[in-house]
Parts: sequence; C-alpha cells; structure tokens
Amino acid sequence: MISHLFKLIWNKKKQNFLLITEMFVSFLVMFAVFTMIVRAYNNYRHPLGFEYDDVWVASYMTPENIQSDDSAALFQDVLRKQLQSFPQVVEAGFSGHNFPFAMTMSNSMVSSDQNEGVMTNFYNADDNYLKVLNAKMLSGRWFSKADDVSKSPVVVINRKLQEELFEGKNAIGKYIEYGGDRLKVIGVMENMKDKGTYTPVENGLFKRIDAGAAKWTSNILIKVKPGADAVFEGKLFKALSNTIGTSVEIEHMDKKLTRQNKLSLIPMIIMLVVGGFLIINVALGLFGVLWYNINKRRSEIGLRRAVGASGNSVSKQLVGESLVLSTLALLIGLFFAIQFPLLKVFDLPASVYLVAIALSVAFIYILVFLCALYPGRQAAAIYPAVALHEE
Amino acid sequence: MIQLKQIEKSYRTDTIETLALNRINLSVFQGEFLSIMGPSGCGKSTLLNIMGLLDAPTKGEVLIDGRLTTHLSDKQLAHFRNQTIGFIFQSFHLINDLRVLDNVELPLLYRKVSASERVQLAKEALTKVGLSNRMKHFPSQLSGGQKQRVAIARAIVGRPQIILADEPTGNLDSAMGNEIMDLLLHLNATEGTTIVMVTHDETMAKKTHRLVRLFDGAQVNDHTLKQVYA
Repeated sequence: MISHLFKLIWNKKKQNFLLITEMFVSFLVMFAVFTMIVRAYNNYRHPLGFEYDDVWVASYMTPENIQSDDSAALFQDVLRKQLQSFPQVVEAGFSGHNFPFAMTMSNSMVSSDQNEGVMTNFYNADDNYLKVLNAKMLSGRWFSKADDVSKSPVVVINRKLQEELFEGKNAIGKYIEYGGDRLKVIGVMENMKDKGTYTPVENGLFKRIDAGAAKWTSNILIKVKPGADAVFEGKLFKALSNTIGTSVEIEHMDKKLTRQNKLSLIPMIIMLVVGGFLIINVALGLFGVLWYNINKRRSEIGLRRAVGASGNSVSKQLVGESLVLSTLALLIGLFFAIQFPLLKVFDLPASVYLVAIALSVAFIYILVFLCALYPGRQAAAIYPAVALHEE
Repeated sequence: MIQLKQIEKSYRTDTIETLALNRINLSVFQGEFLSIMGPSGCGKSTLLNIMGLLDAPTKGEVLIDGRLTTHLSDKQLAHFRNQTIGFIFQSFHLINDLRVLDNVELPLLYRKVSASERVQLAKEALTKVGLSNRMKHFPSQLSGGQKQRVAIARAIVGRPQIILADEPTGNLDSAMGNEIMDLLLHLNATEGTTIVMVTHDETMAKKTHRLVRLFDGAQVNDHTLKQVYA
C-alpha cells in the first residue's frame, strides 16, 4: 500500500507541491521555536551556582572628596565594618557594576598559552564576595589579604573559562593574557549564571578589587539574615546615607532576578505567540486542503469502497497519504536543519539543535495526523453508492 | 448466486418519502448473464447497488452465494465485495492520477497479494481485454472504449464470481459498445462469470440470457430472452 501511496503522490506532484511547501515552512518555524525553547530549558536546568536570597545590593556614588586610592580603600573598609556591625547582616562584600542580575556587562577577549582568544565576562570582586553569594570554589582559593603583596595580578576564573582556555586541565598557577598583562589564576570556581535563570553560562574572570580599583567600585552586596524587613532596610539606608553622603539605592537581588527573567522571557513569548499563530494558520490550511482534496476525490473514495476498501482503510489511506507528504517535507526540512549543528550556527551545542529537530519532526507529524484525521473520518463515512452516483 | 427477497428501498426527505424499489424478488443464477432494463429513474441502478452491497435496502434480504448479507459489518461487506463482486460503471470511474496498470491493480491492494503477483494478474487482465500495450498510459490518454476495457480489466482482475455492470456501453458509440458487449459475453461464456447488466439498449439486452424490466421501482417483467425475442 505504501508504494501505491507513493505512486499516487508522485503522479500528483504538482498539486502536492504547495502542501509540501507549507509543511516544510511549518517545520522550519517550529525548528526555530523549539531551538529557543530547548536552549532556554537547558539554561533553566543549569543551577545558578550561587545564592541570591536575602542578598541586597547597595549602590552609591563615591564621594567627591575621596581622591586617592588609599582613601578609597579606607572608605570601603569603614563601610564594610559599619555594615558588619549590624546584627542582621551576615556578610558584606564589594563588587563592580556588573554584579549578578545587574543590567550591565563588561567583557573582552583573553588568551592563554593553549588557546587564542575567547570572549570572557570580567567581574570585580573583593575578598568577601564569595561568602556573600555562597558560591563554590572548585580548586585553588578565593582572594585574600595575602594577594595585596602578589607580584602579578591574580584572578579567579569559572569552570567554563577553564574548559575553554585550558582545555579542561587544571588552570591553577597558569597565566591568562589580557591587554598585555599576565594574570595569574589562583582559583577556579563553579559557573555562575549571573544574567538570570534562562541565560546561558558564560566565561567568567574575577579580578580582585585592590586599592587601585576601590575608587571605581561602588556596589556593596549585603547578605542579611532571613526575616530582615523593611524597618531594617530603612535603618540601613539611613546609616549608609549618613556615612557616604551621596545618594544610596538599596535593591533586593531576588527582585532583580525576576526583572531579568522577564526580559529573557519576553522575546521567547513573542516568538511563541508568532509561532503559535503560524501553526494555527498552517493547521487551518492543512485541514482545509485535506478537506478539499477529500471532497474532490469522492468518486475515487466511492470506487475504492466498491472494490474492497472498508471505511476504516479509506480513512487510513488518506491519513497515510498526508503522513507520506509530511515525510517528504520533513526530509527537505531536515537537510536544512541539520546544517545548524554541523556548521555550529549561533555557537549553540549540537544537542540543542538535535533535540529541537526531533521535537519539530514529532510536532509536524502530530499536527498533520490530527489535521488529516477528521477529513479522513468524514471520507470513511461516505456511502459508496452515493459517492459513485455523484460522478 | 444472488437472491433478493422482498427488497424495498425508500429515500426520505423532510417532507416526502420516495419509494425507489418496491418488493423486488429476484434470483440470479450462477453463470447467468442477466440484463435489467427500464426507464430512467425506475430504480435500476439502485437495484444494482443493492446487489453489489454498495447500498443497503430499507427492507428485505440480500443473499449472495447463499449467505445473508444484511447484518454484515462495513469491514465484512468490503471484504465480500472485494472477493466476490467486480463492478463496471457507465462513467468508468478510473483514477486519473494512476496509470492503467495501477488502476487495474486496485482491487488487489485490498487483498493479501504480493506486489509482483499484483502486477502479473493486472497484466493478465489487461491482456484479456486487449490493452496490453496501454499499461503505462494514464486514463486521460485513452479513448472511451479503452477506458471501459480498463474498467473491465479492473473488474475481472480479482476473478470475482459476479460482475455488476451499470450501463457499461452508455457512454460509448455503437461500435465500441458492441466491442465491450462482446467482451462481457466472452467472459460469461469462457469464465462462467455471473453478470448482471443495467442497460437502456434493447440491442445489448437481447444478447444476454435473461431480461428483467423495472417500472417505478417495481419488477414488471422477468423473461428469458429466447421467449421474448424468439
């Protein structure tokens, strides 16, 4: 029967061309939508790599009277001690402007002896940063006072950068080239998804906030005890404002994450809505074309019933024809889709594309099956004598 | 071979009920070539459809080869038609998107027959109707007579015991009509196939063994042709 269906489809190739094109385009749309969903889901499954609950961010403008590096470092010490004096504060650490869930980023190319140039996010962090966020070290150590006397600048990198720059081998004690400087790796930490739940893990390099950088570092990450409330926040704001003398803003990191996630989800939702409309159009189109075909083929259906086809086998044949057509459309679609993992388009893992291809194929088959089912059943209900008489 | 007992067929609309067949009792014997005649709308095709299990009677029983068909399921009826009956229609009912050979193979698709055997049987049937040189053609490339020959080949490919022909020469000129009639007579004579033919043409009807006349859905005459035309 399959060869019979192929013959029928091949002999009607002109009529089937548009239907195949429609299914092919639907497959490509679904492939794009599923690629985005699979990518977002993979990112979602990956843990954040740090704790953001009960972490507040206090941002301020460094007072104008603080001019020298030493006074800036001293000023930070004063602030840190003031914060630690509050019983509700667990820990406080300074960060550059691209702290987790901030809307800013700083990146550049870095290289090593093994690898030439990979794009990396740069972060500035003080000695307490790791403790505030409860992030995990994989090897080596985080920054400490001892690094004040280090001969060369020291950095901590994340697992992903170690994999890309040092091919997964231990990076401790090795050097990273950046803008003519040689940065010594003293620690490797677990990946941190600092741009939100649905964003991918990126290469990360942490530089220590030393006296030279203190002047430009005006964000404090404050880990508070659970239950720290608005009353305490007001008290904290007052104390910091008095000490700093310029405007201070306190934000909660969990709220920043929610905002960041909304920004990640908006394009996905837009794409889903557009894709959804396209799919509804395609479904209606397929349904209409199949229904039209069946009405046009009533005489053929009547004849098939007369020569021995049951209503069920007529229905199966029409659904089978639609599935064969969709297979042809999918084969063309697969040829294009498979280029994405092969050519590493958009630098996504091959697994994302392969899962998206599998989901798109399944989706198109289910869609075509459902769209063909009702017209197929209608055809099965045609009484042979009536269908033959209409001719 | 075919027994119709008290067959009635009526069509009901919102306002009226039309009686297409009224208490028809008819037996068709094995190897017989029977023709049915009557004016347009008298119920000839309806009767043929009921004999061919393409339509169900409103009342009465249809027995084929001694088997009551009234309570058979759709699947059983389809199987029965496939195994026992071949159909020939006035308008040929060929599938234009399939080649001649594929059209003839059609009934065998619904049997457990291998592809090679299907081709073999279809070729044999086409040879019998004299179309062995038109196997790769599409129906649109054939004349009316050739199309009807293809339809006959399709009807006989499964070697059915019964052939039901609904005005098989109705769309053909007299020469082609005679050719088709000769073919049916030959099939009846050599293969012993029971044939029931609906026709408007007295000349064709007189070549058959027996003539049944219908009028307004009722059977008004049933004679062997020797008695009628002798």
